[in-house]
Amino acid sequence: MDYLYGLAQTIGVHTILGLSAYVVLQTGQVTMAQAAFFAIGAYISAMLTTVWGVNILIAIPAAALVASVLAGLAGFPALRFKGLMLVVATMALGEAVREFFFNFDYQIAKGDLKVGPAGAEGFRQIRYFYERGWTTAEVALFIWMFVVGIMALLWWMDRSRIGAVLRAVGEDELAAQSVGINLTAVKVSAFAVGGAIAGVGGALYGHYTTHIEHTAFGVLMATFAIAYPILGGLSSVFGTLLAVLFIQGLLIQGLPMLIGGELRNLLFGLLILLAMNVRPRGLIDGRVVRMLRGLFSPRSRHA
Amino acid sequence: MLELTGLSKYFGGVRAVDGLDFVVREGEIVGLIGPNGSGKSTTVNLICGVFPVSAGTIVFRGRDITRAPPHQCLALGIARTFQNIRLFNELTVWQNLWVAQNSAKHRRERNFLGRWVGGRGQARRSVERHLEFSALAKKRDELAGNLSFGEQRRLELARALAAEPDLLLLDEPAAGMNHEEIGQLAERIRSLQGQGKTVVLVEHVMELVMGVTERIAVLNFGRKIAEGPPAAIQADPAVREAYLGTGAKV
Amino acid sequence: MVLVQAIIDGILVGTTYALIGIGFTLIFGVMHKLNLAFAAASIAGAFVSLLAWQQLKDLPVPLVFLVAAAAAGVLGYLIYLTCFRFIPLKSPLATLMATVGMLIFLEEVVTHISDGKAQNFPGMVPEARWVLGPLDLRVDYLLVFAISVAAMLLLLALLYRTRLGIATRAVAQQPVAAQLCGISLDRTNAATFVMSGVLGGLAGAMIGSSAELLSNLLPLQLTVKGLIVTVIGGLGSIPGAIVAGLLVGAFEKGLETWSVLARDLCVMLLVFVFLVAKPAGIFGKLNVRD
Repeated sequence: MDYLYGLAQTIGVHTILGLSAYVVLQTGQVTMAQAAFFAIGAYISAMLTTVWGVNILIAIPAAALVASVLAGLAGFPALRFKGLMLVVATMALGEAVREFFFNFDYQIAKGDLKVGPAGAEGFRQIRYFYERGWTTAEVALFIWMFVVGIMALLWWMDRSRIGAVLRAVGEDELAAQSVGINLTAVKVSAFAVGGAIAGVGGALYGHYTTHIEHTAFGVLMATFAIAYPILGGLSSVFGTLLAVLFIQGLLIQGLPMLIGGELRNLLFGLLILLAMNVRPRGLIDGRVVRMLRGLFSPRSRHA
Repeated sequence: MLELTGLSKYFGGVRAVDGLDFVVREGEIVGLIGPNGSGKSTTVNLICGVFPVSAGTIVFRGRDITRAPPHQCLALGIARTFQNIRLFNELTVWQNLWVAQNSAKHRRERNFLGRWVGGRGQARRSVERHLEFSALAKKRDELAGNLSFGEQRRLELARALAAEPDLLLLDEPAAGMNHEEIGQLAERIRSLQGQGKTVVLVEHVMELVMGVTERIAVLNFGRKIAEGPPAAIQADPAVREAYLGTGAKV
Repeated sequence: MVLVQAIIDGILVGTTYALIGIGFTLIFGVMHKLNLAFAAASIAGAFVSLLAWQQLKDLPVPLVFLVAAAAAGVLGYLIYLTCFRFIPLKSPLATLMATVGMLIFLEEVVTHISDGKAQNFPGMVPEARWVLGPLDLRVDYLLVFAISVAAMLLLLALLYRTRLGIATRAVAQQPVAAQLCGISLDRTNAATFVMSGVLGGLAGAMIGSSAELLSNLLPLQLTVKGLIVTVIGGLGSIPGAIVAGLLVGAFEKGLETWSVLARDLCVMLLVFVFLVAKPAGIFGKLNVRD
């Protein structure tokens, strides 16, 4: 059973990671910096709880706030880039943050233990849940409360005018400006919201793994962050969840049981390839969303 | 209402617009015509703040908007359409109008939260009038990308109107339309005047320009070479030489 | 003096970065799309040559290089088929993601071949040095430089002197017009992928050879470096990629003399600052059409 709860934790945290990129991708910006904001959330929240003994319910919002402000600040220079330039600029930024944590040392003695981030060794002993005797199931539940909360928020946002405006910016920036949308405000807000979500995800990640190190927050994680929403489709938040279930649940956890761990990543790469060839707009694209809506609300069916 | 003084735009060494002086008065329909590359579209882009102005000033209702970014121009009451249609294809027809509700009027009527977070039902009703006007009410839930060419042109106009502008800049709205559609468009533009809107019509299709405008300015190589009522423009030899002389029929 | 020495070394090895940058830039120039799997394919090519070297004992180094180039060329074509050929033009994110899938796939292939650790790779002229006044140059670095420059000249000759090259440039500038002139878009695109693959494979083999080690971490590292070079040089600009490759090489080796730990942090920050200051790169045009 614990194995399943562990899997639920992983899937929950990765869903949050994917959703953090979902918001930014909707404005048409392919960002490779989400892993960095994830890392910032993980390190800051872990330092708050482990080094300074802050309650986790305060540490998570605080980490999200810091990640959000930094992401917003990063959003300003990022306004100058489009397409590939943005990919590489955000990637450079993300790597710089990772390298910062690689060089980041701040340890204090706590009892007979030294705690805090220790450069290349990483930040060990994030024992908040452990010290309080939370079971794996409780931690999984705690994580999923955030997942559901964030998904509900984004789902509602998608249906409000905010969602329409984000998509409008993603589709045609010039036209969006010309109908009175303030590009700077929208793009920077998207970055900030994405940063906050990534911060929450990172905070949860740091606390359930109990050990974070810079190598985890590299290009690969940044790639995963954008892979989930793109693979799942940008039409619905459920696409991201489905993609995480597909990748983390089926490919990374499920397949090794069936065919052995050896071939897992090989198949993983190939399946992404295949999925993009067959469904270029993601697993849940606009058509699926409209079809589902039609099923649930017959009122909106007309010629 | 709108005053362009010495408006200029240089792209490298090319003078796309060169010292243009032009005044649009409240409530009139004016035409801006000229051969290809004469600077008409560039002028629209300058007024809307898409390109930075190289020299000269743009004053709208006594307010200098020379350096205002596009979204501010819209908030002040200037809306536009595009020569090559630029709709949000992945949004539905009514959502295309919904995202355009950014004018000062919208801001006054509803507070920040109301505008961004308000219910869909109310939002749908708020664009209904414009959908009716552009004969798109039946298509309201269609994706903009799935519309026919003529419908997309109408949606562009409807989207511009959804921002409740006082001044409309129409960049070649009749391009690719047939005779009948042009007639409907002309009627629509005239009825806009009835609603108190001011219209600047940038156009190639003489049938439309000569039919609806009260005054026409002719551009050539970024300069204004003539201005006057349609009949006078048609008779102007300089215009004929620059523009009509190339074979266009009136 | 240590710094001068390091910078010269950096420029010499930087030519391999330049080759990778050219590969990215060529594909971007022709397709206006990013092939994230390019650098990984180059290293995978080098690993294929490693296999050949391990199997056929004492395969001469020039042949090892050729095998790497050929293998990477084939991989380039495969990437074109799987990630670009059949995905609609209107879905740029889908192609990007497909190349990510390919990147993960190739990285895993490399992990399998390398057994998850760096492998010995044949050196060109181990230990040979050329002392020039106060400078102490490694001969294999000089060879890397010479081979890279030769490859670049060959590429330029190909692009500017042959029909295929002219077709490639035509497609890069005006795809529709080029098609109307009877140029097959499909064939030209495929040729570009093969050409860039060959360059990449060569670069990958030289990177391994000059270190006498082929690291299993190279696919990701080189992807990051290659993209940086491409973007600093300006998208689609071959001269830009060359200059940027040398710059990044020199910077890295130069910073190494100061602190190995902080090297990458500095490089990344510099890249970001540079891009903010000059978003179009050294030779790029900011306004990439429409």
